[in-house]
Amino acid sequence: MNRQNFLGHLALALTLILLAAFVGQMRRWQKGHVAPSSGERAVAERVEELRPAREQREASEVIVRFRPGTTPAQIERVTERLGDRVEDIYENVKGYAAIRDGDGLDAQVVADQYLTQAEVEFAEPNFQIEAYPEIPSGAHDALNQPPATGPNDPLLGEQWALINSGQREGKTNADISAMQAWLQKSTGSEGVVVAVLDSGVDYTHPDLLNNIWIRPASVAPYTDEQLGTIEDEHGYNAVDNNGDPMDDNGHGTHCAGIIGAEGNNSLGISGVNWKVQIMPLKFMNAGGSGTTKDAIEAINYVIERKKAGVNVRIISASWGSTMRSSGLEDAIRKAGEAGILFVAAAGNSSVSNDRTPHYPSSYPLPNVVSVAALDRRDTLASFSNYGPKSVHIAAPGKEILSTWLDNEFKEASGTSMATPVVAGVAALVLSVEEKLTVEELRERLLKSVDPIDSLQGKIQTGGRINAARALGVAPRAKAATVAPAFDDNN
Amino acid sequence: MAMGKTDAVERARRDLAKRLGVSENDIEQESVEEADFPDMALGAPVEDEMSGQMISSGWRIRLRAKGGTHEYRADRNQVRLYDFEGVNYRL
Repeated sequence: MNRQNFLGHLALALTLILLAAFVGQMRRWQKGHVAPSSGERAVAERVEELRPAREQREASEVIVRFRPGTTPAQIERVTERLGDRVEDIYENVKGYAAIRDGDGLDAQVVADQYLTQAEVEFAEPNFQIEAYPEIPSGAHDALNQPPATGPNDPLLGEQWALINSGQREGKTNADISAMQAWLQKSTGSEGVVVAVLDSGVDYTHPDLLNNIWIRPASVAPYTDEQLGTIEDEHGYNAVDNNGDPMDDNGHGTHCAGIIGAEGNNSLGISGVNWKVQIMPLKFMNAGGSGTTKDAIEAINYVIERKKAGVNVRIISASWGSTMRSSGLEDAIRKAGEAGILFVAAAGNSSVSNDRTPHYPSSYPLPNVVSVAALDRRDTLASFSNYGPKSVHIAAPGKEILSTWLDNEFKEASGTSMATPVVAGVAALVLSVEEKLTVEELRERLLKSVDPIDSLQGKIQTGGRINAARALGVAPRAKAATVAPAFDDNN
Repeated sequence: MAMGKTDAVERARRDLAKRLGVSENDIEQESVEEADFPDMALGAPVEDEMSGQMISSGWRIRLRAKGGTHEYRADRNQVRLYDFEGVNYRL
């Protein structure tokens, strides 16, 4: 190579290097982050921390629910028959077992094999839980890595409301973006108390036990002029007027689990909040029904506890009827004045609440949030009430797995199940922004939806609650609207 | 104590016989079918009753007597008479 050729090649090489550097810089500018922030590094570290657990689960594994009465020995025999092995039989989740394939088959094929067995009620692949894949621009590169596993609750894969990976013919990402909310912002706080106004709560359920409110020593037992003093260690029972809100129906326990089954405890499910305080209230009987009077008594109890210093900020109300009660409306208004949000079920009659109101969700009060139910494909559930003026927001409410009586877990459907999802997201928001007023909290929820085409004109916001948006770790959708005033036309 | 379908039908027949003032033998069982109801009051709330908004499985029992058909709704916990002359009853 002569000197002239050498200088020419050198000039060309230098030009290419400079061009490559310039393009690289431009790409980094376009991505909006030249160097990772401390928050981004934290997420990356969290993903790395979770990766080994994910890799361990790459062999085909299925979760099987055996019929009631199937013994562990019978489960072992079925598994051996199919050439597999039992990974775990969940002691506290009756009938459920994790099974690892021994034949090198695809997980769906293995699940199908189990479905043909007489002892099996249900089987499905142990789905990989993916971190929220729809990452907003400028967000964390770490989440563009291969999907991380979530908390270690063994039934999390069944909780499509939290993480919808398309399991059981669901629609991927038709969920509340819980994983993104958890990994990037908050898993809840013991400082937030959510009252579950229902059939009581089984406060001994192993997946709820650590998240049940216990009256602090600094707060005196509840005293009512008519009822006298009540030792309200865990809440209040308005049916029997005592301090034992134990659930004898199951409905309230189910709702409580959706809000706050303990997360990452290697047991059962995870609530929207891994940590929170559930205040059990019983006003419905063993049949799942209650009176307006008892509902008012229980709401008054919550207000009094708030005044006594308990940080109860949300009432979750998965019940209702078409009968309007001024007394109940007044009690809910007073709760709002005390800084308590009231999240209520829109009802299950497939009708418009604008035409046929359903109470308490239809009370036009500034602290009421009315909740419709969605299925796992982001479609309004066939049973769900709606109403562009009077139903505010939608949340997953069909085939929702949660805690039940006798230490069990059960799937249930209804706007009853959608309501605690929204109440749970409200608690997550308060875990990081405790000073929000009830109006600010309500507005935050209603502005934090994923717009859904089929909900436009059906409910006020036209969207599904998104926990990540509510926590400010995903951009708000432009379509989310909140009516500015509250009157009978809202 | 949890109730079965047969018990629920028997309770419904007894109730209707009493209401209409007829013998249970005069009541014809038109149909008994499994059904999902919209709430825990089986879609048949009584006055001043609030109920959990959870879809509840049970039985729809149709009984015929005195030329009319009457609908009862039941699950493991309860039996209700639906829309009897415009009113719901919990048995």
